[in-house]
Amino acid sequence: MAASCAVALSLSLTACGGSSPSAGSGGNSFTVLVYGDAGNKVERQIVDEFNKTSSVKAKLSTIPGADYQQKLQTIIGTSQAPDVFFNWGGGSIQPFVKAGLLMPLDDMIQKNPKLKSSFLPSVFNTAEIGGKAYGIPMRGTQPVLLFNNKSVLKQAGITSSPATWNDLLTDVGKLKAKGVTPIALGGGDQWPTLMWFEYLYDRIAGPGLFQKALAGDKSQWSSPDSRKALSMLQQLKAAGAFGSNFDSVKFTDNGSTKLLATGKAGFELMGSWEYSTAQSIDPTFAKSGLGYAAFPTVPGGKGDTANLVGNTNNFYSVLKSTKHADAIAKFLTLMYSDEFVKAQLSIGNLPTTTNTPQFLSQADDPAYDQYQYGLVKQAPAFQLSWDQAYPPNDITPIHTAVGQFLDGQIDANGFISAMQNLSTAG
Amino acid sequence: MAATLTGEPGRGGAVAPGDGSHGKGGKRSARQRRFGPSRRDVGDRASRPGFLWAVPGALFFTVFAVVPLGLVAVLSFYSWGGLGSPQWAGTANWTKLLHDPVMLRSLWLSVLLTLLGVVVQTPLSLLLGVWAAGPQRNRAVLSAIYFVPLLLSATAISVLWRALLDPNFGIPSQLTWLFGNGNLFGHQNTAIGVLVWVAAWQYTPFHTLIYQGAARAVPEVLYQAAEIDGAGRVRKFFHITIPQLRNAMVTSVILMVVGGLTTFDTVLILTQGGPGTDTTITAYYMYQQAFKSFDFGTGAAIALLLVVVSTIISLIVVRASGYDKMRSVNEGL
Repeated sequence: MAASCAVALSLSLTACGGSSPSAGSGGNSFTVLVYGDAGNKVERQIVDEFNKTSSVKAKLSTIPGADYQQKLQTIIGTSQAPDVFFNWGGGSIQPFVKAGLLMPLDDMIQKNPKLKSSFLPSVFNTAEIGGKAYGIPMRGTQPVLLFNNKSVLKQAGITSSPATWNDLLTDVGKLKAKGVTPIALGGGDQWPTLMWFEYLYDRIAGPGLFQKALAGDKSQWSSPDSRKALSMLQQLKAAGAFGSNFDSVKFTDNGSTKLLATGKAGFELMGSWEYSTAQSIDPTFAKSGLGYAAFPTVPGGKGDTANLVGNTNNFYSVLKSTKHADAIAKFLTLMYSDEFVKAQLSIGNLPTTTNTPQFLSQADDPAYDQYQYGLVKQAPAFQLSWDQAYPPNDITPIHTAVGQFLDGQIDANGFISAMQNLSTAG
Repeated sequence: MAATLTGEPGRGGAVAPGDGSHGKGGKRSARQRRFGPSRRDVGDRASRPGFLWAVPGALFFTVFAVVPLGLVAVLSFYSWGGLGSPQWAGTANWTKLLHDPVMLRSLWLSVLLTLLGVVVQTPLSLLLGVWAAGPQRNRAVLSAIYFVPLLLSATAISVLWRALLDPNFGIPSQLTWLFGNGNLFGHQNTAIGVLVWVAAWQYTPFHTLIYQGAARAVPEVLYQAAEIDGAGRVRKFFHITIPQLRNAMVTSVILMVVGGLTTFDTVLILTQGGPGTDTTITAYYMYQQAFKSFDFGTGAAIALLLVVVSTIISLIVVRASGYDKMRSVNEGL
């Protein structure tokens, strides 16, 4: 392994040595690079649609699997860089913005205000860096919701999803008495644990604390609000909410979702993709047994009850050195077209355009999509997941810190200092 | 030549390549007078490969090992996030690592995992190998079955064991008296235990094969002589088999050490370095720094440290075992 990594390192070093960044595709076309998965179906369709009328052609290329960010990072500074590329907004494009590689889209928006006004603001904001827009939403939104197993809750005498933090603690007690794990948690993956932090910090301190901390105000992490969030999390764990083996459970191998689907757990906090995960395990359960609700409110907290956390959406960003800015501006307008929305809904994605509601009835589960869309539309703030809001080199330290804090390896002070050691956007 | 002429026993195999070019005749006659002709002597008489034979190998080694290693060494003094050109960083990466508790602990964890691997796998594969060296057909069949785990990729094996050890749906949920709450991946000791177990499951067959081959090469006459002297099974095993397997053991242990220090895939899939950083071994830490945190300079420094530590440990093993001298090529030693 050491040897092969060494080779990889050295090869990419030489590969990146001499070449200067410039947009790859010469001639009369531009490259659109996207994450290679089932979503490509729609992207292919949109590119074909665009090429029918445009003299400058779009060329779609995909990078499969979870290596997307790595490979993108390797090629974006080279002559193979794509003109337009898929990303997660926030921290995922921040290094590129810093390196001066990306084009601010404000000029395009000035010429065609619909490039901004056609999208839900809480989503569009995620790809704004330093007050400038760097991305146009291009797939579906993925808010984090508190899912539940309806029949398990019923058996434990819980009639509705918890509205407040105290309700949640009461429900945990009831479920524990029934002998089930109150809340399924894929602690082995660490990022599911992070979701609990994101919501508690938001409910207690409001979105400001994290935004300030991200911008460089590290004192935010040692504020009373921060400590309160940490102590409430400890309180929840001490109540036995996550059971005793959450560190050995993963979401990525369907472990935690299976706990919920098989009735061994009552709740799970997870992104909206939980629905399709449950569907792959047990379609009947996904359709009729899976309940969902917003995260409970915390009495006395400063955060709005309607605030959301999760993946706001994916975005298209444009390389500054592209030779086809005008054609790309035209290509991006397709991201709020009716065809685009219908195509996304047909594969289970929930686009974040203002015209989405007209087509919701065509979705796989209209009620579920309607509910999500309503949440996202009404959310005063939609916090991008911390591990995506921070630059990529902070991902591992964040994951390690949340994992260590919840399983008791570090205390509140340890967590605070870990977060203060992160590099920041500032 | 003096040593050879006086005929120091057991030195016969240690002729350095250079020795073959001159004084052959005298040596051969001296040896023949004392020991009579042996297979070894025939080998000595044949023309020895010249330096040219090493050129292709040396060339490959230079291109694919030495040059990249040099580049990695250079990169460890740069700061590079994968974008644009690397920036000179002086010794910043190195000083950062020296004060990084995770780094130091990762080296210890790598060594610990390696040690545990050797301690667990050596006795197992030794016993299995000697047993499988027997002539019966059932042993041949079983040996073939034991070999199967090695044919699977480490990734597949890790995914398999991750599923088998799932606390709620795997083996632990059935054997609660043994596994308790099944939180194997949530504690350092049990997480390391799983890693050692999975590595042993995968690699013991390979080392068994080494021992099996070596055990088959032990001359039958030794056992016959021992039997005449009244030695039992156990005595024969400890006084003939084990000494005869000495070189095989050194080979096997060195392979385990090299493999253990560079373990990566099982950690990536089974524990992801967790809980916390409790199973973050050096190779995984290098991957994390370079390919997850996009800090290739630090990754390069860790890679280089791993090379240095592995080399030192390999040298120690080679020295301590006398592998560098390669004695005991004659029967009965």
